Amino acid sequence: MTVAIPMTERQEIPVRTNVRRPRGAVIGIAVAATLVSTLSACGSGGASATAGPSGTLKWASSYFPTHWDPVVGGSGAQFRELALVYASLTRTDESGKAVPDLAKSWEYNSAGTEVTFHLREGLKFSDGEPVDGAAVKAAIERAKTQKNSALFGDLTSISTVTATGQDVVVHLSQVDHQIPQLLGQRVLQVASPKAAQDPAKLDQNPVGAGPFVVTQVVPGTKAVLKKNPGYWDAANIHIDNVELTSAPDASTVVSGLQTGVYNFADLTPSQADAAKKANLDVFVLPGFNASNISLNVNKAPFNNEKVVDAVRHAVNRKEFVDKLSFGYGEATDQPFPEKYIAYDPQSKNRWAYDPEKAKQLLAEAGFKPGDIKVDLVIPDAQPASEIVQSQLAAVGITVNIKVDKNWAKPFFAKELTLSLYGTTGRDSAVQTLTAHFGPNGPLNLSTPYQPAGFDAAVAKVRQTPLDAPDYPEVLRAATRAGLESKALVFTYSPPNLIAKSKSISNLPKNPAHIDWTGVTISGS
Amino acid sequence: MPRRVLSLVSGRISVAILLAIALLAVFGPLLAPQDPLATSPDTLAGPSGGHWLGTDYLGRDVFSRLLDGSRISVVGSLEVALMALVVGAIPGILSVYLGRAFEWFTLRLADTLVALPFLLFAVAVTALLGNGITQAMFVTGALVSPLFYRVARSATLAVARSQYVEAALISGASLGWVVRRHVWVKVLPPIAVALAQTIGVGFVIVSSLTFLGIGVQPPAPTWGGLLASDLGYLSYQPWAPFAPALLIMATVWACNLLADAIRDVSGEAGRALANTRRAAANQKANQTAAGGRA
Repeated sequence: MTVAIPMTERQEIPVRTNVRRPRGAVIGIAVAATLVSTLSACGSGGASATAGPSGTLKWASSYFPTHWDPVVGGSGAQFRELALVYASLTRTDESGKAVPDLAKSWEYNSAGTEVTFHLREGLKFSDGEPVDGAAVKAAIERAKTQKNSALFGDLTSISTVTATGQDVVVHLSQVDHQIPQLLGQRVLQVASPKAAQDPAKLDQNPVGAGPFVVTQVVPGTKAVLKKNPGYWDAANIHIDNVELTSAPDASTVVSGLQTGVYNFADLTPSQADAAKKANLDVFVLPGFNASNISLNVNKAPFNNEKVVDAVRHAVNRKEFVDKLSFGYGEATDQPFPEKYIAYDPQSKNRWAYDPEKAKQLLAEAGFKPGDIKVDLVIPDAQPASEIVQSQLAAVGITVNIKVDKNWAKPFFAKELTLSLYGTTGRDSAVQTLTAHFGPNGPLNLSTPYQPAGFDAAVAKVRQTPLDAPDYPEVLRAATRAGLESKALVFTYSPPNLIAKSKSISNLPKNPAHIDWTGVTISGS
Repeated sequence: MPRRVLSLVSGRISVAILLAIALLAVFGPLLAPQDPLATSPDTLAGPSGGHWLGTDYLGRDVFSRLLDGSRISVVGSLEVALMALVVGAIPGILSVYLGRAFEWFTLRLADTLVALPFLLFAVAVTALLGNGITQAMFVTGALVSPLFYRVARSATLAVARSQYVEAALISGASLGWVVRRHVWVKVLPPIAVALAQTIGVGFVIVSSLTFLGIGVQPPAPTWGGLLASDLGYLSYQPWAPFAPALLIMATVWACNLLADAIRDVSGEAGRALANTRRAAANQKANQTAAGGRA
C-alpha cells in the first residue's frame, strides 16, 4: 500500500525474466484455464449455495509481485499478494499476535532455545505434495541458503531444523521468543518442496498450500487464480476467482474501480477524495507503515555528527502529513505507529522540529549555508523528496534530487549518501528493529554502523517471552536504543489506503495484512 | 523571405505566438511573480489574486512554475531541431556530390534511423547516459534527422541536374561555388519549412518526455511535468491541466502555421502567390482610389 512513497519495500532488485513460450502452448494454457475455471465453477455451484455468495475478486495492486518465489520476494509489501498462493507456518490475528496457520500449535523448550511446531494433518500443496515437517524444514533451509534469498538476514537466530512426520523442531543459536511471530506470512510462506527444486521456475509458477491456486501468470502484468479447495481453512474462503492486475497510473485506478474493471485496489491518498465521490468504499487498513530519510554516516557530510543532528532538527513532520497523506496519515519519529506495543513514548520528540537549532549546529560544525551539497537518490520522482529538499534548504543544506531507475542496487549495496525509504513494517517488532538499525539491516544505509547498546537491547527482547509482563518495557528499551541510530530520520506514517466496491464485504482488520478469510463478494 | 512570411496573416499570427513563447523562455524565470520552488502550506488552492493559476500539491505557485518551465521546453525543442538540421541537411546535400559509396551509406543510415521509434529510444538513452534533457534531445534530433536528409537531398538533386548548373560547371565554376551560389538558395526554403515543423515536433517530444518524468530532475518545473503532476490531483483541480496543455498546443500550432506560411511564400508557387496577392491588392487600391474620385 502506501503509494505516496512509491518505493515502499522493494527489497530486491527486480529482474524480470520473460519466458518465451510457443504460441501453441499459450493457446493451450488459455484453453485449459478456461476449461478449468468453467469446470470448477460447475463443481462449486452446489457448494456456493451453502457457503454463501461467491464471486471474482478483481484486484489492482501497485505492488504486483516481481517475484513469485517468497524467498526471493522478501518481507516487503508484495507478500500480501503472494499470500493468495502460499500459506505460512503462522499468521497474525487482529492484535498482531502469531496464531496458527499451517502449524496448528507450537511450544518452546524451557530454555527458549528450541521451538517445536505441530503441523495440521492431511494437507497437500497444489501439486499434490504433502505439507509435512520435511516440507517446512526444506522451506526454512532454502530461505537461509538460496543464493538470491532476501530472507536469510532475518533467520540468523535459527541454526538447524529437524523434522519428524508433522513436527518441525527449530533449533536456535540464541534464546529467541520471536520465532512464531517471525515465521509468518512475511518470512515463511511455504512453497512445495518439489516445485522449489527449480527456484527459477517457482519464481514464475508459484505452488503453495494457500487459499488460491494460480492458473496463469503474465509476468509483471496479471495473475489469474482460483479457489484452492484443499486449503485448510477453505470453508471460510468465499471467493472463487481472483484476477490480480498490476495497477496502472494512480490517476486511472478510481475510474477502473468505477467501471468495474477492478473491484479492489490500493490508493494513493490524493485519489481518496475521487474514490469517495465515486461511491466506493474507502478505508484505511491498520498497519505499521513508516517513511524515513536514510543517511549514510560512513560518507561526508553525514560522518559529522552535528550535520546529522541538524538534519534531525530540520525535519518538519507535519508538512509530510499535511501534503502527502490528505488527512489519512500521521507523523511519526519511530518505525512504529504510536499505538503499537513497540512504540517508545519516552523517545517521542527526541529531536523536535527546530530549524534555528539546525542552523546553529551546522554553524558549529563550521558549515556556512550552501556549503553542504548532497545528492538525494530516489527510484522515481515523488513529492516526499521535494519536501525533504525544501526543508533541508531552509537550514542551509543544498539537496540535489536524482531519480535513478536502478536505485535498488546502490541503495541495498549501501553506496548512496542520502535516500528515502518507507517500510510496511514486520510482524515481529524485533525484525523491524534489526532491519532498520542492525549492522546488516537492509534498511540501514550506514552498514556496518549500529547505535551503541542496540545489540544487547535486542538480545534481551529475544530472551523475553511475548507474554511476560515486562515484555513491552524491554521492547521499548530496544526501540529507544535503536532510535539513537544516526542513519535514519523517520518522518510520517503513510496510510494503507484501499478502495473497494461495496459488493465486497469488510476485510478482517489484520494489521498490515490483506486477509480474505470470511470475505464475501455479492452480485458479481 | 521573412518579409514575405509576415505579409501573410497566418505568418504574422505564428510569428507573434512564437515571439511570445521565446520571450517567455528568455525572461520567464525573471517574470515569475514568486519563487517557483518555494513551497507553502496552501496546497492545491484555486486561482486567486496571489496565485493566478492556483497552487500545486506542495503549495507552489503554478503560474510561476509555468513561466519558469518554459525555458527547458523551448531550449529542448530547439536542440532537437538544430541537431536534426546539422545531422540531416549537410549529409543530404553532400550525398549528391560525394560519390556513390557515400550516397548509398547515408541513404541506408537514414532508412535505419527512420525505423527507430524515437520516444522509446530517448527513454533508453536517458537510462544509459543519465537523466538529462540534452542527451535525450540530441538522440531524438539524430533520429528525426532523416527528414532533413531527404528534404535537402531532393532539393539538391533538382538543382544539381538543372541545365544552368551544368552550364556553370562547363564554364569552369567550382563545386563549392555552385553549392554556395545555386544549391544553397534552392535548398534553404524547404529546409526552413522542415525546421519550423521539427521545432513543433520537438515541443511534443520534450513535453512527452517530461510528462513521463524523463530528462528533468524534480523539482525543476516543465510544461509536460506540470501536466503529469496535475493528473494526480484531478479531483481537487479538474481545470489544472488546461494551462500547460494550452501552452503546448499553442506553441506546436504556431510552429506548424509558420511552416505552412514559409511553404506558401517560398519557391515558384510562393512567388506566384505573392504576385496574385499583390495584384489583388493593387486592384483593390485602384478601385478604392477610383471610388473616392467618383
